[in-house]
Amino acid sequence: MSAVARLRSWEGLLLVLLVAIVAMNVLRSPYYLGVTNIANLFQLSIEKIIVALIMTLIIINGEIDLSVASVMGLSACVLAWLHQMGVPLPLAIIASLGSGLAAGLFNGFWVAYVGLPSLAVTLAGLIGFRGIARILVEDRSVGGFPSWFNTLGQQPVFGPVTASIVIFFVLFAIIAVVLHGSALGRLVYVIGNNLQAARYSGVRVKWVKMALFATSGLIAALAGLLYAARLGAVRGDMATGFELDVITMVLLGGVSIFGGSGNLIGVGLSILVILNLRNGMGLASITGNTQTSVIGALLILSVLVPNMTQVLQSRWKGRNT
Amino acid sequence: MNWIQRRIRPEQVRELSLLLLIILAVLLFGSMIDGYYTSRTFNRIASSVAVITIVAVGQTLVVLTRNIDLSVGSIVGCTAYFVGTVLGHFPDINPLMAILMAVVLGALIGAVNGALVAWGRVPSIIVTLGTLAIFRGLLVDLSNAKTVTTDSLPHWLVDLPQLRLFSLFGLDIPVLFLLAVAIVLIFQAGTGYLSLGRRFYAIGSNPDAAALIGLPIRRLVFLAFVLSGALAGLAGFVTLARFGNITVESGRGLELQVVAAVVVGGVNIFGGSGTVVGAMLGAIMIGTLEQSLYRLQISEFWRDAVLGWLILMAVASDAVILQRLRALWGRADLKYVAPAARGATSQ
Amino acid sequence: MTEPDTAYTSPIAPVRAAIPAVGRRPILETHGIAKHYDATQALDDISLALYPGEVHALLGENGAGKSTLIKIITGVVQPDRGEIILAGDRVALRSAAEAQRAGIAAIYQEPLLFPDLTVAENIFVSHQGRGVAVGWARMYREAEAILAELGVAIDVRSPARGLTLAAQQSVEIAKAISLNVRVLIMDEPTASLSAHEVTQLFRLVQGLRDQGVSILFVSHRIEEVFEIADKVTVFRDGHLISTRPRAETSPQRAIADMVGREMGLLKPRISGPRGDLLLSVRGLGREDVFQDVSFDLHRGEVLGFSGLIGAGRTDVGLALFGIEPATTGSITLSGKEIVIRSPREGMDLGIAYVSEDRRQLGLSLPMSISANITLPMLHRYLDRFGLIRQDMERATAEAFRKRLSIRTRSVDVAVAKLSGGNQQKVMLSKWLNTKPSVLILDEPTRGIDVGAKAEVHAIIAELAAEGIGIILISSDLPEVLAISDRVLVMREGRAVAIFERKDANQETVMTAAMGRSSASTGEDAA
Repeated sequence: MSAVARLRSWEGLLLVLLVAIVAMNVLRSPYYLGVTNIANLFQLSIEKIIVALIMTLIIINGEIDLSVASVMGLSACVLAWLHQMGVPLPLAIIASLGSGLAAGLFNGFWVAYVGLPSLAVTLAGLIGFRGIARILVEDRSVGGFPSWFNTLGQQPVFGPVTASIVIFFVLFAIIAVVLHGSALGRLVYVIGNNLQAARYSGVRVKWVKMALFATSGLIAALAGLLYAARLGAVRGDMATGFELDVITMVLLGGVSIFGGSGNLIGVGLSILVILNLRNGMGLASITGNTQTSVIGALLILSVLVPNMTQVLQSRWKGRNT
Repeated sequence: MNWIQRRIRPEQVRELSLLLLIILAVLLFGSMIDGYYTSRTFNRIASSVAVITIVAVGQTLVVLTRNIDLSVGSIVGCTAYFVGTVLGHFPDINPLMAILMAVVLGALIGAVNGALVAWGRVPSIIVTLGTLAIFRGLLVDLSNAKTVTTDSLPHWLVDLPQLRLFSLFGLDIPVLFLLAVAIVLIFQAGTGYLSLGRRFYAIGSNPDAAALIGLPIRRLVFLAFVLSGALAGLAGFVTLARFGNITVESGRGLELQVVAAVVVGGVNIFGGSGTVVGAMLGAIMIGTLEQSLYRLQISEFWRDAVLGWLILMAVASDAVILQRLRALWGRADLKYVAPAARGATSQ
Repeated sequence: MTEPDTAYTSPIAPVRAAIPAVGRRPILETHGIAKHYDATQALDDISLALYPGEVHALLGENGAGKSTLIKIITGVVQPDRGEIILAGDRVALRSAAEAQRAGIAAIYQEPLLFPDLTVAENIFVSHQGRGVAVGWARMYREAEAILAELGVAIDVRSPARGLTLAAQQSVEIAKAISLNVRVLIMDEPTASLSAHEVTQLFRLVQGLRDQGVSILFVSHRIEEVFEIADKVTVFRDGHLISTRPRAETSPQRAIADMVGREMGLLKPRISGPRGDLLLSVRGLGREDVFQDVSFDLHRGEVLGFSGLIGAGRTDVGLALFGIEPATTGSITLSGKEIVIRSPREGMDLGIAYVSEDRRQLGLSLPMSISANITLPMLHRYLDRFGLIRQDMERATAEAFRKRLSIRTRSVDVAVAKLSGGNQQKVMLSKWLNTKPSVLILDEPTRGIDVGAKAEVHAIIAELAAEGIGIILISSDLPEVLAISDRVLVMREGRAVAIFERKDANQETVMTAAMGRSSASTGEDAA
């Protein structure tokens, strides 16, 4: 099957899956498709899906960023720490975004310029950035933010749609345009597909990788802020384990872990699948932990199933020639 | 220089310098902390190092084959909890039986990992990220969030951490630490002297050549994960003995310390080189740092930041410094001699 | 030291004892072996016999089929037709491991060792049944013994990574011996060795031969071949041209067999008047890879680069484009001295390099034709928002499609779906789009059919007529001779000859490439 055909059928599969899940949920709750509930659906995981957008670019590029959840925690803790020291909140917000950017640049430096594998670098970041976050906030829970901050992500903009949701869709549109229409997007694909060909064609590989990791840090920081605003409080261990959902959303969306293929439509569909799945599980009173297990299983399946179909296909072909 | 060159390889220099660093660190901390050189310090370090070391041995095998196992924390939690619960209900079970249960459960989970990586061809980072979540979730569900408490456990288990078999240099060596050392020695011998053990190095060192020769790569990778799981299971037992109170959160985050120990200990993240002893040294380094920083009143929250930095430095320096060291060592050349008579034994 | 059962005994001795001196039968025969890759017939009807105790040399140009035959004999690749007979029995070698068990081993220019394992381990790693435990002392002893038999002493305790290339090669040979090799294939073993090491290697080879091993020796260095070989076989374009005992042939005869083909099929290009000096290279070098390369390139000129694989031609191209920059020497472009440290710099200076491996190095296969063509110049296709003007891209792609006759449904098709020839044209389009003044083509017609080849040749002629300076790196000698204005021959990293068109023919070029000066033709070794 060509890459295009396979992708189409993958998205078709996701669509079917989505419809099935939504149908099951509607049966359980008649208000399911109401606008309020849909907005709520997004709101509950809004930070994860925002990060999933940039993770898509990184994985298509052939890398991975395991530190996103820790950067979320870091930015929230920087905010809380500065706030506690009396720094005016707007300044603290800028500093916190800056810390995410710095973290991303840090990751990018080791991967792009020193040439270390992104798995190892971002694993170190996952631990290290979380560590810095905990140094700042220790084991306390820091709250007491002004109310304008707390309603920041939750402020309805029109209808029940909050500012966070608007941010997500705006970001989705921007990244869709970048990935599928801009030079940078083209380069992201080429580097992920064939690094050598990209180098031989004069592509500035280091620059692209650096830009991706820096953006990842920045967006993770933004997500961290939105999360802190939604919870109203900051803890050193907040957002722990979020990278699992984020990576699953991307891989389930048809993006290959090996880089070079995938698109934002697939990721969009898989985001919807996972949001509805989590919501549906909640409706069925399945605990958060079990939900995470299911996501973990989905993660494995999203790579296992294409692998196995490929193996079976080539075996079938081999037998028939 | 030549004498040194002949006796020691660049990779061994790495381990030796780590040992040196540990000694230096101990001396440094000893000068900064009162009452550092006591049994108590030793015990604390030894206890935390024991668990990490046992898991790190298994992780070393996995990393040698160019894979990674992030699910070990969940395995430790599952086995500690499972064995604790069983012992709570059946306190008369033979201790060896209890250990066996932990090991077998760990091995089974490891087998799931191994099958998915070896035959499912799913990258190990994905598999173990997934099983980390799956098995932690299963643990929480099946346990109904109950806690294993010390009172429910048999005495021999609760007393185990205090058990001292003998003393060395005036320090009482806890039996659990001895267990860790024994595991290290067994596996060091295994990877050093068993054909099977050497094959782990081969597949990590040059997978293409290994395939060409016909080494059973998939089976070996599967075995590495099974062993990693089994050892994590054993570590779960040790955790149970050490803490007594086991919640469903037990072991969470352990994998990060283990990977740190392995990487700091000189095991190459690209596979093919590094030793189990090195991993233990890495665990000792990290354990020593941790305990000493704690004693210095530096908040425990510095631990992770330091850990992350250590991993990065270890990987970066391996990539850069080891290359330079190797260049410095030069290349061993061959000498031409008169061809020996056929069939002669060389003395 | 008395452990008779564990005493080391040579695995070769039994073989020697078993071979009668007279009436030897071949140890390995191939009958009618054929293999094709896509459109190319790599091997056609190869019937060859290897005898024990004999060094059988295999000669042929790049692409003559030598490495394909080696892959078939070592079980890495399966032939389309034909059979392999080993010691009188028909065998099917379905994997490298099977071939190894059958006693067939190959040593390549790049040793296939485990860098982190010790020398001794590398020698014995593929042995089954050495037991569960590794007896290190015994392994070291036996390794040293095998090496001693070869006449070599290496520190068997050091990891393979820490060895020189010559040492690694000896380890490979020792490995083969330890497996009771009956047929040893040596593929360009001397390419990276010093003269002294080559002499020693030959002593080793002679020793092996005397012990009854059958050796298939593939090399480009014709003097060496005639020094060591007992028989000489020549391949050309996938066919076996001749097999002769050394006494009945000579280097000239071998070269004639290698190149002797009809030249008539290719229309020689009519050169225009030589333009201004465009590129001037003096003393260019990079570490051990190539040294002291000097040449001039004029506008509108086609300079052919001939030479054997590994001679360094591609490396010079990579240096001129900035992918692997040179470390010594100077480059002058249109009168200005320049330094090229990256592909970007090369491109900005007007140099373009079309790499030889279009799949791995040149094209992004899942992407469309137009996307591939515009990649190096993507910044010229953006609108004011930074988005890609796909209409402009398509226009460019369509223009090239017409100009180069790229056969495709549309320019939006993924490059993976095109034939080899058309993929090559896409690569060419990509680089022509950068409007280079110097165009370096590396094996532009490799693996494409005759019709497409002719089209590419016509395009090269047009480009030269437009004033572009072209460096044509090619192993296809007729192609080089038909199109080039001058031919530069490289051998082992050095530029050894530059021929004007009138002086260049297959024999002069081949001779320069292989290392015999045509002046000393030497007597027929009869």
